[in-house]
Amino acid sequence: MNAAAVGGPSAAVRGLTARVDDLLGRSVSMRTLALLRMLAGPAVLLHLQPFLSDALDGRIYRDAFYEPYAAWYPELPHALYVGLLGLAAVAAVAMSLGLLTRLATAMTFTIVAYNLFLSTTHFHNNRAYLVIVLGLLAVAPCGRELSVDAWLRRRRRRPALETSAPAWPLWLLRFECAAVYGASGLSKLLDPDWFGGTVTWQRVVRARDQLDAWPIPDWAVSALTDRGFHTGAAKMIVLTELLIAVGLWSRRTRYAAVWLAVVFHLTIEASASVQVFSYLGIAVLVIWAVPCTRDRVLRIDPTARAHRSWATVVRALDWLGRFRVEHGPPGSRLEVVDRDGTAVRGAPAAAFALSRLPLTAWFALPALLLPAVRRAR
Amino acid sequence: MVGRRMLVLGVVLLQLAFVARGYWSDHKEFAFQMFPESSTWRADVVRVTDDGRRVPVEAAWSGYRWDELVRDRGLSYPGVRHHADAGLDNQLAFLEAALDWVADNTPRDAQTRYLEARVTFWDNADPPEVEVLRSRVREGSG
Repeated sequence: MNAAAVGGPSAAVRGLTARVDDLLGRSVSMRTLALLRMLAGPAVLLHLQPFLSDALDGRIYRDAFYEPYAAWYPELPHALYVGLLGLAAVAAVAMSLGLLTRLATAMTFTIVAYNLFLSTTHFHNNRAYLVIVLGLLAVAPCGRELSVDAWLRRRRRRPALETSAPAWPLWLLRFECAAVYGASGLSKLLDPDWFGGTVTWQRVVRARDQLDAWPIPDWAVSALTDRGFHTGAAKMIVLTELLIAVGLWSRRTRYAAVWLAVVFHLTIEASASVQVFSYLGIAVLVIWAVPCTRDRVLRIDPTARAHRSWATVVRALDWLGRFRVEHGPPGSRLEVVDRDGTAVRGAPAAAFALSRLPLTAWFALPALLLPAVRRAR
Repeated sequence: MVGRRMLVLGVVLLQLAFVARGYWSDHKEFAFQMFPESSTWRADVVRVTDDGRRVPVEAAWSGYRWDELVRDRGLSYPGVRHHADAGLDNQLAFLEAALDWVADNTPRDAQTRYLEARVTFWDNADPPEVEVLRSRVREGSG
């Protein structure tokens, strides 16, 4: 055995460690987390609504059956607990606005987590996901843009803070996001009743009354209540969850995975009561955008009204800061230059631009599969 | 740098541990097993008094009502057949804990010795099974 062979594995481990350190410590844009921070506030308010509603009626969790996780876990007096819930709501609004962002986000996370762990009866998967998201937002410096804090700094003519930071909170959140789909899909894959279609078939058959009330044709109702249909449908559901979990990691499949995830969440929302899970699940998808900003160019002819309208739309909806808007020569076509230098012009450029804006991406992404758009790229 | 690496590794391993734990724990915290079963259940819950009577909890007693004492997790009306939202193990664990909580938190009730639930459950498409759950015996009763 020679020295190189002996040193091989340890060199490989050192190399891997160095790559991991580089990945975690690399400075990346926090823009996606800033947008998620804004979107997380409404999720917290929706989550707190039943607790606050009960509190307004004079009831809190321990006025009825609850089950503490641990005897030592601190429980507050009634008034203080209700005050804490109110404080969480205020902190969630401040977090969304980006006012005293770090403090507001940490406070929101702490109170929501405290409330979750008060009782086993408080636990739901969507609340667990919310706590994870809030925890990672609290450790990321995501209040330096899209925030009142940043606006106040500009107003006071103080230099803007660095909007890039080490990537590790983003990577952890990506891992958690994929873990949610992966764990759910895996549990169904390993359960013969789920994978074989028994679970979905029985759920639909038992909800037959609700199904009949939906505006869908009889043949569709017959198909949905057919046992054979669910043998295939259950496998599609499991495959969808696993495809999302895996597909999000590759740039080649990411857009398809995000598109599929939106459909998945909307379908769940239409068919089940899942509290804030659908909203939160879709909101978290923004973290899969490449963490750098203004690396694409939208070039317009400033003398053309239609081009100016496009620029206005893109500036208004470009919440992830994808585009720089530049002026081209008079008479030029609308042009988008991608980060690899590829230029697209005309209608395909418009479709491409819309596919990179959070609000329009889901509608525009399929257009990128059209032959004319593919040829243009 | 080592601290950051350890923190990230710790969170990843903890999450994976929670996912694994979900395959045997009742409440499956952070295991993200969504819509796990189509199982259903119903239960006849009674108060067993010191003199041996079995009184359904649907009838109010000593100023208490079951549906006011137990308002969460689909347990308010146990006599009605329900979907076990987060699985049967989860549902039965909650019902058992609820029996204990009611036994411990009804101080005006001087008659009840313990509460008992005769649970009929249907595990997905399997035939029904029956299980009997009991609360702790109440202090000072008998």
